[in-house]
Amino acid sequence: MIDILLMILTGIGVAFFGFVLQTSIAGVNRKVVARVQKRYGPKWYQEFLDIFKLLSKRSVTHGWIFDFGVIMALGVIIGTAMFMPLTSSFMAFDGYDNFFIFVYLIAVGMLGMAMSASGSGNPLASIGVMRALTTMLAYEVPFMIVVLTIIKLTGTSSLSEIGLFQQVAGNSWFLIALPIGGIVAVMALMGMLGKKPFETYIAPAEIASGPMVEYGGKQLGMLFIMHEITVFIEVSLFVHLFLGGAENIVLFIVKYFVVYTILNIISSVYGRFKIDQVVLFFYKWPLIMAITQAFIAIYLGWVI
Amino acid sequence: MLSTKFSPMSKEEVDRKWWEIGDFFRRNSLWMLMYCTGCCAIELPPAMTSAYDMERLGMGPMATPRQADVLLVTGYLSLKTLRRLIYTYEQMSEPKYIVGFGSCTINGGIYHDSHAVINQLNKYVPVDVFVAGCMPNTEAVMNGFVDLMDLIKNKKANGWKDYHERYDWYLANQKAALGEVRVHDEFHE
Amino acid sequence: MTNSMSNIEFTTDLVESKFSVLSTEVVDKYQVSFEVKKEDVHSLLSLLKSSGWIQLSYLSAVDWPLDNEFEVVYIVFNWDKAVHIQIRTRVDRETPSINSILPIFPGCKYYEREAHEFFGIKFPGNPDHEKQLILEEWDDLPPLRKDFDPRAYSDKKFSKMEYKNDFVNTNGEVSKQDARTKRYDDIDKLRTGGKK
Ligand code: SF4
Repeated sequence: MIDILLMILTGIGVAFFGFVLQTSIAGVNRKVVARVQKRYGPKWYQEFLDIFKLLSKRSVTHGWIFDFGVIMALGVIIGTAMFMPLTSSFMAFDGYDNFFIFVYLIAVGMLGMAMSASGSGNPLASIGVMRALTTMLAYEVPFMIVVLTIIKLTGTSSLSEIGLFQQVAGNSWFLIALPIGGIVAVMALMGMLGKKPFETYIAPAEIASGPMVEYGGKQLGMLFIMHEITVFIEVSLFVHLFLGGAENIVLFIVKYFVVYTILNIISSVYGRFKIDQVVLFFYKWPLIMAITQAFIAIYLGWVI
Repeated sequence: MLSTKFSPMSKEEVDRKWWEIGDFFRRNSLWMLMYCTGCCAIELPPAMTSAYDMERLGMGPMATPRQADVLLVTGYLSLKTLRRLIYTYEQMSEPKYIVGFGSCTINGGIYHDSHAVINQLNKYVPVDVFVAGCMPNTEAVMNGFVDLMDLIKNKKANGWKDYHERYDWYLANQKAALGEVRVHDEFHE
Repeated sequence: MTNSMSNIEFTTDLVESKFSVLSTEVVDKYQVSFEVKKEDVHSLLSLLKSSGWIQLSYLSAVDWPLDNEFEVVYIVFNWDKAVHIQIRTRVDRETPSINSILPIFPGCKYYEREAHEFFGIKFPGNPDHEKQLILEEWDDLPPLRKDFDPRAYSDKKFSKMEYKNDFVNTNGEVSKQDARTKRYDDIDKLRTGGKK
């Protein structure tokens, strides 16, 4: 009993750590992007200020589905983050860090948000949700093919063991061992995070920030927290799958920071795709590359 | 000698302390909704981009009224726009502030004798800060934002409370100018 | 002879051969204006549409209070010949009304609503020419008529800022306004030789 309680407490600690880490790194990244645009940029803790400001405002509700969906999304995402291994040996629930757990639980969180957004009754919100789901369909297919290749090669789907496999195999990260697949994964990650070329479902100037159009005050604050934790989960997935996990927490933070910053810099020089362009893009080159990579790695056995 | 005994704070005092903490966050992260009605709006791009960079004050543009804290009314307002502006203002979540740009919002400016343009914005919605000038230059705009932050710090940016308290007065003014505040057009029926 | 000049000539020939034109004015080499009788407008516009002037660029009116008439102006544009044509016609000012050109140019719908709103001209044939478009809940004379006084309306309807005290220059310097007035007076004196 005490064990389980301790595990849950650790899990919540992991989720909280993820939130703090991602929020500070996002703040630093706003400064990085500002420097790319020759600006000074906000304070590094600006994201915290934004979130707490939102929580301190009064808000309006559009019915109980609207509120409940937000709480459900936030809860599920915190629950998902609890399973995330931080290093290859430290995790809250030992042995439950299967890749598919994250994939399914994140989808539940997204559904919560979709439910609440459609509960607001704003047509732009429905358009945004539809676009989000379409984008998800688009990037998931090539990404899954690459990840399944990795699972086939390592013979396990546990994140920490995939990380360990790469460390044991002489530090050959899958980003280097499977170079084509690595590129596909970077593109899919940008789609997952909603970074610039694939920002279609937020599109502030076009559909007024899509699913978030009717949120304000506390609900928006909760959505922001949820978004930060989702980003934490997705970037950590990438670190564990492609960058050889992490032996200790410092290495984890460094890898995490590098991945997120590079993605941000890439995204800061792009414009925005239209939704059909996103789908066509993902179903064309990344899909072909992913299949080629799977073929090369599994049937020909050419792994560097 | 000061007593070291613990004395619990009264409820008002606790509320006030919380409000002050909230004010700290609110003044450091002002999200704007730009209602670009007039020519003064052209002063916003230099204020946002690398020349003056208002993001270092924590300000940023937002897409919808629900998410925003500050409503920027940049320039003259025709009657048709005023109707939509009141809609927009009432949709924002509290605490909310308004910044009026240019002499057009103060006393009508060069449109003081136009049949279509209102003269004093603060008769219809509560304005916290005015930035004078036709058009105000970008330093003045930035200064206006810093003034707004000071007002929030000193608890003087109370326009939204005023709108609750004197709603009858505002409504009477709106009715006098607009006839009826509700929008009747092809898109609202 | 340049191509555009021949375009203008082609246009004047086309119009003047079929209709009695009251006056023709060639504005520049891309624009020509014809004044016709009120009855001819519709047939002239359909003729122009069938000979290539397929775009109705604008429809508006001009107020001539001394003649007691409104001048309705139709501007059509041709994408192949680069000539704008203005068709002008006069309607009575007391009961202004001219049949809608909705069957010829469906895009005139909103222009006619606007003209009705700002001048009070009626367009029978356009089912919603009386709906409000820009001025919502208007309660006075149509505002672009010359006998409408915008300042009086504004004073009546919108409260003005009241200044409690005059803000004047107190540094002991001559105010710029005074200096300017003095300069103008001096100039006047020079011009008139000191006489008023
Ligand atoms: S104050 Fe001057 S610059 Fe600003 S909207 Fe009015 S006329 Fe334009």
